Amino acid sequence: MKTTARLLMHLLLVLLAANSAFAQQRFTISGYVKDEKNGESLIGISIGKPGTSVGTVTNEYGFYSLTLPAGKHEIQFSYIGYQAQTFTVDLSANKRLDVKLGQSDRQLNEVVISGKQQEKNINTLNTSLNKLDIAEIKKLPTFMGEVDVIRTIQTLPGVNTVGEGAASFNVRGGNGDENLILLDEAPVYNSTHMLGFFSVFNPDAVKNINLIKGGFPAEYGGRTASVLDIRMKDGNNQKFGMTGGIGNIFSRLALEGPIQKDKSSFIIAGRRSYMDVLMKPFLKGDMKDTKLYFYDLTAKVNFQLNKNNSLFVSGYFGRDVFGFGKEANMNWGNNTASLRWNHIFNNRLFMNLTTYYTKYDYSLKFLSDEKSTSSQEFSWKSNIINYGVKPAFTYYLNANNTLHFGVQGTYYTFRPGRSLARQDEQEFNINLKDKNALEGALYLDHEWKAGNKFGVQYGLRLSGFQYIGKGTAYYYADTVAGTRKRFLGTKDYERGKTIADYYFLEPRISARYAINSSSAIKAAFSRSAQYMHQLSNTASPTPVDIWTPVSNNVKPQLTDQVTAGYFYNAPGDKFELSAEVFYKSMQDQLDFIDNADLDLNEYIEGDLLAAKGRAYGLELYVKKDIGATTGWVSYTLSRSERKTPGLSLNEWFINRYDRTHNLNIVMSHELNKRASFSANWMFASGTPATFADARLEFQDWDVPYNTTEKRNNYRLKPFHRLDLSFTYKGKQLKRWKGEWVVSLYNVYARRNAYTVYFRQNPDDPSKKEAVRLSIIGSIIPGITYNFKF
Amino acid sequence: MKRKFTAIALLFAAAGFTACEDTIDIDIPNGKTYTVVDAWITNVPGKQDIRITQTVPYTSSGSAPVVSDAKVTLTDITANKTYDFTFANGVYSHDPGVNRIGEIGHAYKLRVELKEGIFEAVDTIKRVPEVDSMAYDFKTKEESISNKEGFYARFYAKDIPGGTDYYWIRSTRNSATSAGRVEDIFAIDGSFAENISDGLNFIQPISEGITDYDTPFQAGENVTVAIRSCTKRSHTFLSQVQAQIDLGGLFAKILENVPTNLKNTDNNSQGRVLGWFGTSAITWSSIQMEH
Repeated sequence: MKTTARLLMHLLLVLLAANSAFAQQRFTISGYVKDEKNGESLIGISIGKPGTSVGTVTNEYGFYSLTLPAGKHEIQFSYIGYQAQTFTVDLSANKRLDVKLGQSDRQLNEVVISGKQQEKNINTLNTSLNKLDIAEIKKLPTFMGEVDVIRTIQTLPGVNTVGEGAASFNVRGGNGDENLILLDEAPVYNSTHMLGFFSVFNPDAVKNINLIKGGFPAEYGGRTASVLDIRMKDGNNQKFGMTGGIGNIFSRLALEGPIQKDKSSFIIAGRRSYMDVLMKPFLKGDMKDTKLYFYDLTAKVNFQLNKNNSLFVSGYFGRDVFGFGKEANMNWGNNTASLRWNHIFNNRLFMNLTTYYTKYDYSLKFLSDEKSTSSQEFSWKSNIINYGVKPAFTYYLNANNTLHFGVQGTYYTFRPGRSLARQDEQEFNINLKDKNALEGALYLDHEWKAGNKFGVQYGLRLSGFQYIGKGTAYYYADTVAGTRKRFLGTKDYERGKTIADYYFLEPRISARYAINSSSAIKAAFSRSAQYMHQLSNTASPTPVDIWTPVSNNVKPQLTDQVTAGYFYNAPGDKFELSAEVFYKSMQDQLDFIDNADLDLNEYIEGDLLAAKGRAYGLELYVKKDIGATTGWVSYTLSRSERKTPGLSLNEWFINRYDRTHNLNIVMSHELNKRASFSANWMFASGTPATFADARLEFQDWDVPYNTTEKRNNYRLKPFHRLDLSFTYKGKQLKRWKGEWVVSLYNVYARRNAYTVYFRQNPDDPSKKEAVRLSIIGSIIPGITYNFKF
Repeated sequence: MKRKFTAIALLFAAAGFTACEDTIDIDIPNGKTYTVVDAWITNVPGKQDIRITQTVPYTSSGSAPVVSDAKVTLTDITANKTYDFTFANGVYSHDPGVNRIGEIGHAYKLRVELKEGIFEAVDTIKRVPEVDSMAYDFKTKEESISNKEGFYARFYAKDIPGGTDYYWIRSTRNSATSAGRVEDIFAIDGSFAENISDGLNFIQPISEGITDYDTPFQAGENVTVAIRSCTKRSHTFLSQVQAQIDLGGLFAKILENVPTNLKNTDNNSQGRVLGWFGTSAITWSSIQMEH
C-alpha cells in the first residue's frame, strides 16, 4: 500500500515536471460556461479551435481550462441545442473567460456547427458512456405520464431489467446491486418508488445523467457494473420560475430562482402521489384507512462566493408509505445530502470537494386489532447510513494532458434489523448486530492526447475496505457446497478494531484512435472491486432487502472488463453511431444456497455462496440529435452467466437477468411548433426461468420439483411493448407556458410474462398448472398537464 | 414473512394496478422419476399411515403412482419398540388399536427398504399446546381485503412457555383430515421468529391466518384447525415446501428443490429418494360457520 502511494506520488511529480518544462510560452484560458437564460452551469460543452483537434470540454460543474501557445486564437464554444459562440483571444497572459451560451431552437439548428466538437463520441476518450440531458429524457413516452430517468436508461444499449416494475436494472450482465447510482454525488440505495414503478428522481430537478458501463475512469469505484451519475439543476439564478405538472398518479411542483442574481440560486422540487386520496371514498371494512402513497422532495442551493469559489448544497428526501389502518404500516425511503465546494486554485487546477450523507431505511409495524384477545405489536426497522468525503482534483497540464486525482473515504453503518415484539406487557427484542465499515480509495488518472489521432486515459485506483468493530465476527465450518454452513461461534470486536480488510489495485485504461475526421476506434480495460452487496434472492429486490458489507466470510467482488468499439459521426452531425463489444469476468459474486433464509437471520452468512460470473456482448447504438425527428435505436446481443459451487450441478448457468436480444427504438417527432409525438418500442428475449418438470405428493401438497437440477433452464416468451405519447403545447404566453401530454403505455396490451410459476388450480386442486404473471397486462393511459411560469 | 408480502401484494391489487395472471401451456420434457416418502407419524391413537409414491410430470393430473413393494419399519428409539408397516389400500400402515404409536418426547427412526437402497431418517415428537377457542366474522365484499364475501375464521391458542417451540398449523374445510386443506402456517413460539414470543398468544396474523382470503368460508361450513408440534428441522423443511408452492408475485423467488432427510444407509450408493419423515403431537378444534 505504501509503495503504491509512493509510486503514485512519483508519477505525479514526473508529470508536473514535464509540464513546467514545456509550459514556457503557453497560457491558459479558463472559466465557467453557463446558460444565458437561467445561469445553469453547462456540462460537456465543447471548447476548441475550429478546424483543429485542439480543445476540451467543460466538467460536471461547467468549468474548463485550456492551455495554448501565446498568440491569437479563435476559440469556439459549442453544444447541440445551443448557439455556438466564437471568441478571438490574444493570449499573452493567463485569461479567465466565463461564457454564457444561449439556447437555440432545435428545428432551426440544422445548420452545421462548424469545427470539431470535443464532446462528440468520436472525440472523447470514454467508451461505454451514455449521456442524456433532461430535455432528451422528457421526450420519451411515459408510464402514467411520469418522466422517468431509470426507465429511460433502460432503453440504452447494454441495459436491461428482469421485467416491468422491477426495482433495479442490470448493466452488461451485472447484478442489480452492482450499479452505483449517484445523485449529486451521494449514493442512492433505492432508486424507485412503488416497488419499482417510478424512479425517485424528480425530472424537474434533474439536469443531466451519465451512464458509464465500462472503461471506468479511476475516479469511480465501489460498484462493478455501472455508474449512473445524476446531476441536479442548480436553480435559475436569473429570475424566479415555477414548473410543475398535474397527472393522474401524482403531481409535481418545482420552484427556482435567484437568491442573489448571478451569484446564488435555489431549486426546490416536490412530488406526491394521490392514489390513496382518490381511493378513499370507495374503501370500506378492512380496506378503510388504506395508505398508499409516496412523496419526494429535492432541493438545492448554490452560492458563487467569488470568482474561484462556489458552494452547492443539495438534498433529497423521499418516502413510500403503505398500510392498512392501524394494523399494518410500512414505509421506506432514501435521504441524501451533499455539500460541495468548487475551488479554482489557479487557472489549471480545479478542485471539487464533496461531503455527503446518505441513508436508506425501512420500517414495518404491525398491531393487533380490537378483536385480538391481547394487545400485540411487531415492529422491525433497518437502515444503512454512509458518510463520505471525496476531494477530487483536475489538473489541466496543457491542451493535451489532464490529470485527475483524489482521495475518497466513506464510513458505513449497517443496521440489518431491530425488531420489537410485544404482547400486552411482555416485550421481546431481536437485534441483529450492527455492522461498521470504512472504505477508502486513492486514484490518479492521466488523460493524454497524442496528436490528432491518438488519445489515452490511464489510471490507477487503490481501494481498500475495512470491516471494523464495534461488531461481531461469525465463524462457520466448511461444508458441502451449496448447503447451509454450520455455525461455530462468534467473536466480538471493540470499536474501531479490524475484523476483516481487503485492498485492491484497480488499473483502468482507455484509448482512442481516430481513423479519420468522422470515425474512431476505442478500447478499454478496467478492474473494479465491490465491497458490499444487497441480499436479495427474489426476481427483483424488495424494499426490505438489506445491504451487507464484505466480512471475514464474504469476499469482495472483483470484475475485469475489456471493451472495444467503433464510433462514427455522420457528416453534419446528422447522426452518430457506435458498435461496442465487451467481455467481463467476475469473481466472488454473491449467491445463495437453495432455500436460503434472508429475513432477520443472524446467521445469514452461513447461507451465502461465492459465484464466478462472466458476461459478453455486442452493443449497437444509433442516435440522431438534430432535426424534427430525433431519437435512438439500440440493440444488444449478450450473455450473462455464473457458476456457483453447489448450485445447478456446479455448471455454468444463465443469470435470471440475461436477455439474448434487446432492441429499443426511441423516436420523437415535432409535427409543428405546438405538437409533437413520440414512440418507444422495445423487444427483449424472455428472461430465463427455472421450471418444474415433476411434482411430488407430500401431506396433500403438490410440490414442484426440477429433476434436471439445472437453474434457469427455460426462457419466458419474449418481451415487447409499444408506448406512445403526444404533446400539445398551449398558447405560449409570455409568462405562462403550458402543455398537455397524453401517453399510452403498452399500446397493444401485451401480457409480457414477469414470471411463470406452478400451482394447484385454486378451484380444482387436482389440476396442476403453469401460471404466467404479467405485471402490466393492459394498456395504461396517462395524462399530464405541465406548466412553466 | 409470507404474510408481509401478501399484504404488500394486496395493496398493489387495491391500487388498481393491472397485474394479471393467466394459465399457460408450457412444453417441458418429463423429468426423472424419483420415489417419494410421505411419512408423518403423530400421537393420535389408532392407525398411522405412510405413503410411498413416485414423482409425476408436474402438470399431469391424477394421483401419483403408489410404490407397493417397500419394506417399512418404524422404531421408537426412546421406548425401544419397533412397528412394522404393511401395505394395503395404497398406504403402509400400522394399527396399534386403542393405543398410540406416537408419544411426546420420544424419538423415532423410519427405515424404508426400496430397490434404490435402504433409507433411514429420525425425528422427535415435541409438545403442543391446546386450541383454546375459535371464532369468526362475516364480511361483505366491500369490507374484505380480498373483495370476497364470507366468513373469516380465527383460533386462539397460547405457546407453551420455556424453550423454543415449532408448530405447523393447518386449517381444513369440512374435514378433520388433511383432505380439505385450506391454509398452513408455520409458527415459532407465538409468532414467526425465535426469541420474541415465548409463552405468548399466537399473534394475529397466525390466529387469523386460517382462512383462505380468496375463498372465505360459507354458512354451514365446518372449519377445523390443528396445531402440530415439529422439530426445527421438520419446521424448516415444511416452510421450504410452502415457499415452493407459493412462488408467484412481483417478489417471486426462483424454483428451488426441497431437501429430504431420508439418507441412504449405504454411503457409497447413488440411490436417492425424495420426501420427508416427520413426527408431531396434534391438538385440534372445530367450529361451524353460522349467520
